[in-house]
Amino acid sequence: MTREELQDRIIAILVQDFEFKDPAPDDHLRDVHGFDSIDAIELLAKIEKLLGFSLTREEKEQAMVIRTINDILDYIETMQQKRDLATP
Amino acid sequence: MSRRVAITAVSAITPIGYGQRDIVESLQQGVSGVKPLKDDGLLVSRIHSKVFGTVDYPIPFDFARRFRKTMGPVANYACQVAGDVLAASGLDQDFISSGRLGVAFGSTHGSPTVQRDIYRTFFQQLDSGFSSIGAVDYLRSMVHTTAVNITRMFHITGRVIATATACTTGSQAIGFGYEAIKFGLQDAMICGAADEYDTTTVAVFDNLLACSVAFNEHPEQTPRPFDKKRDGLVVGEGAGAVLLEDYASAKRRGAPILAEVLGFACTNNGGDMILPNLEGITATLQLALKNARLTPEEVDFISAHATATKMGDSIEAQAIAQVYGDRSPYVSGLKGYTGHTMGACGAIELICTLYMMQAGFLAPTLNLEEVDPRCAMIQHTPACMDADTRIAAIQNFAFGGVNTCLLIRKGTDAG
Repeated sequence: MTREELQDRIIAILVQDFEFKDPAPDDHLRDVHGFDSIDAIELLAKIEKLLGFSLTREEKEQAMVIRTINDILDYIETMQQKRDLATP
Repeated sequence: MSRRVAITAVSAITPIGYGQRDIVESLQQGVSGVKPLKDDGLLVSRIHSKVFGTVDYPIPFDFARRFRKTMGPVANYACQVAGDVLAASGLDQDFISSGRLGVAFGSTHGSPTVQRDIYRTFFQQLDSGFSSIGAVDYLRSMVHTTAVNITRMFHITGRVIATATACTTGSQAIGFGYEAIKFGLQDAMICGAADEYDTTTVAVFDNLLACSVAFNEHPEQTPRPFDKKRDGLVVGEGAGAVLLEDYASAKRRGAPILAEVLGFACTNNGGDMILPNLEGITATLQLALKNARLTPEEVDFISAHATATKMGDSIEAQAIAQVYGDRSPYVSGLKGYTGHTMGACGAIELICTLYMMQAGFLAPTLNLEEVDPRCAMIQHTPACMDADTRIAAIQNFAFGGVNTCLLIRKGTDAG
């Protein structure tokens, strides 16, 4: 999945499930869209389904520094690369 | 400190309507809110009772997602009626968030719909490897979900009392809220209870042979409180909220005094968890009168708990007769209209009683056609009739042996 495709998927989730209005990649999630820690946990569950694998507790805690949609995309790509490297 | 406590706003969602106009109309026209039990794809085929006190009309919930995400169906009901009483009250946000307004609100067991979804996920997707149980499912289903979704939505910072005593959940909430104001701990309280559509509760009572089964083809003919042909309770859903305020403060700010809470009693039978207890109920009714400094002769109307079980109605009638003697006030079992709205029943029945006081009438027990001789020692409201009810008792009893009685007096602005 390209970054553009990933962005489209994430934005679709944010619009449909989190009722974001006109999200932009660098919007501050909390300040602009009222995204809170409960939402972050819900989003992580959706990211797990998107990726097709479970995140570890440590990986989930790393997601707590996410502030923008671009941060979400970076995070997903990092998790994906970690799994790709771990796969022989 | 001992202060008078006023009821200044109420709202109810019931199987016979939402809001004063619809509910009064149903009470006056003898409309039943009992409908066929809806198939849930899980339990209903195994349940003998096929009736439910159903809220079968659309409710215009309009909650933003930031609130909805922690709310199950029961919290939707609770926040709707709590929002109604706050809107009607005219209280400003400074007061609402001052810590002087609290919430006493409950439900039988949170949101069984959400709990059922959790278990469904758990058992069906155990091996999927993903955390399919939502992060907020606990917040949506927990036993105090109604109370804290109300505080969250309206930025209420006072004390929280989350009652959870089955059928006395709502009456306890109002009673404990009354005491919080009376003794100066809070200046105002939003009190009430809610319960959502739930077949699990029907199954529980069905197992205990306590549910009505003989009128499955004619749901509107059951429950039948005090009637010779009564055959058990009908589980229902709904919500009720009342705003209680320190009487003097409410008068000062020009709030309408719909009623005054005069007294409250709450006891336990100290023994059996299911069987009604004549001694315990009688003591509760007497204690409430004492708390309100009333004599039995001063009470005009009793809203009986009267679930339409064989033993429960008979014991309650005996208790009323023991306390009120030959001059029993008019007695109605309002569950004849709504079914047993579980945790919400105390709040809903107080609100229905208040509406009848305001409109100047009394509704009889729906479906009471032939009084059971074991329930005949009290004065049943004979028909829908004009009545200037000044003081009323609202009686509720619950599994676990919990008994409550609230006494209210019609307010100066009740019409």
